Amino acid sequence: MDVALDTLRFIDLTTSSIIFLFIVGFIGGLVSGFIGSGGAFVLTPGMMSLGVPGTVAVASNMCHKFPKALVGAIKRFRYGQVDIKLGLVMAVSAGVGVQFGIKLQRMILDRWGQSGSNLYVSLSFVAVLVLVGGYVFYDAMTADKGGKAKAGATLAQRLQKLEIWPMMTFKTAGVRISMWFTIPVGFATGMLAATIAVGGFVGVPGMIYIIGASGLVASATELVIAFVMGLGGTVNWAMHGMVDIRLTAIILAGSLLGVQLGAIGTTLVKESLIKFVMGSIMLIVAVSRGLAVPKYLAELGLMDVDPGTVALMDKASFLIMCAALTFGAVIIMGSMYKARKANAAEEEREAPVHV
Amino acid sequence: MAHEMTKKQALARTIVFGAASAAIYGAIFQFASPITEMFSRGGFYAAMPIATVFLVSYVHGSFASNMWTALGVNAKQPAKTVRPAVTKRPEVRATLSA
Repeated sequence: MDVALDTLRFIDLTTSSIIFLFIVGFIGGLVSGFIGSGGAFVLTPGMMSLGVPGTVAVASNMCHKFPKALVGAIKRFRYGQVDIKLGLVMAVSAGVGVQFGIKLQRMILDRWGQSGSNLYVSLSFVAVLVLVGGYVFYDAMTADKGGKAKAGATLAQRLQKLEIWPMMTFKTAGVRISMWFTIPVGFATGMLAATIAVGGFVGVPGMIYIIGASGLVASATELVIAFVMGLGGTVNWAMHGMVDIRLTAIILAGSLLGVQLGAIGTTLVKESLIKFVMGSIMLIVAVSRGLAVPKYLAELGLMDVDPGTVALMDKASFLIMCAALTFGAVIIMGSMYKARKANAAEEEREAPVHV
Repeated sequence: MAHEMTKKQALARTIVFGAASAAIYGAIFQFASPITEMFSRGGFYAAMPIATVFLVSYVHGSFASNMWTALGVNAKQPAKTVRPAVTKRPEVRATLSA
């Protein structure tokens, strides 16, 4: 059965592109399983660098994201880390946020064109990642030596004390808070997902610092949100025929291995490491997106930049993004290795000695 | 609650799910062009890629899970629940003032 594929939509797969997608899938899965999100920001530009059209890259990426999130969420649910109710409430409000984000994007596109829209996306990326990522990183660095979370995220504790109807109780997260503080976090997650495609960069810190969940529960619950939103997005893209199942299947082959390893990792390492990895990745990605800003400013006629420099900055931007993901993966695997070694040594010490 | 799986059981399951996963991937790539074309027709055909990734996530996901167990990469404390202190709902109690 030989069917000619539409070459404008579907690329020819080579061995090197298969290996590249599998490896990025694995590393992205590992980071997702550990911090609840990640991978998508490298996979979409990565696929586009192989010649995949933007819409097919986004659709195929999303089609791999929701089953990966499902597998990760089930695994972490077994470890008692997932708050399904919190995840569903967040996912519903994120759905509204996505619609608002898309409308805002369209408005910007109509008014300032493609370059204006790209500039808005890059500036949002840089602003959110520097502010939120910087705070997450600072919090991780100032966590106590035992790796436990600090006595209380003060803002979350203060918000929990406000009795504004309707109050919601999230058992696994161990939180009782007004719906009016929960919904904006979900809304912002969705809006960011529609803008920069990585809602988790706001969702996880929002659940930690505003709602008051632990890093472990927040990162695990984010997988529920990613599943719901990813499934909704995939139905939409697939109905427009934009999913390239070959690309999705290859990425999924790697990411399902990675996501389980990342989930196991959360039970082995200190909780503050989740925040450290997340904060570090966010700050490195912020640098990467910052390098893309001069290009769009030049396209809008607001800045003079040499085309050669723009091309160089584009390449550097992509490489730094890959570095962010690799850095996260190395830290996770290195910490898991150390923790396993320490556990083995502890078990040996505790074992009875026969003389 | 699920019982702890031994490495031997995990290895057997890795082989079974690994073979099933290889069969699914083999089928997808053996007929890559017609499948990709059919799955991208849009409309109701959207159910096909979605059903496929659900199947892959179950089969390949089970393979991956068992593979890590067989390799001795296990979670430290399965079923551990992390619950920070819950702020209790203030209770209104009837008091007697004698």
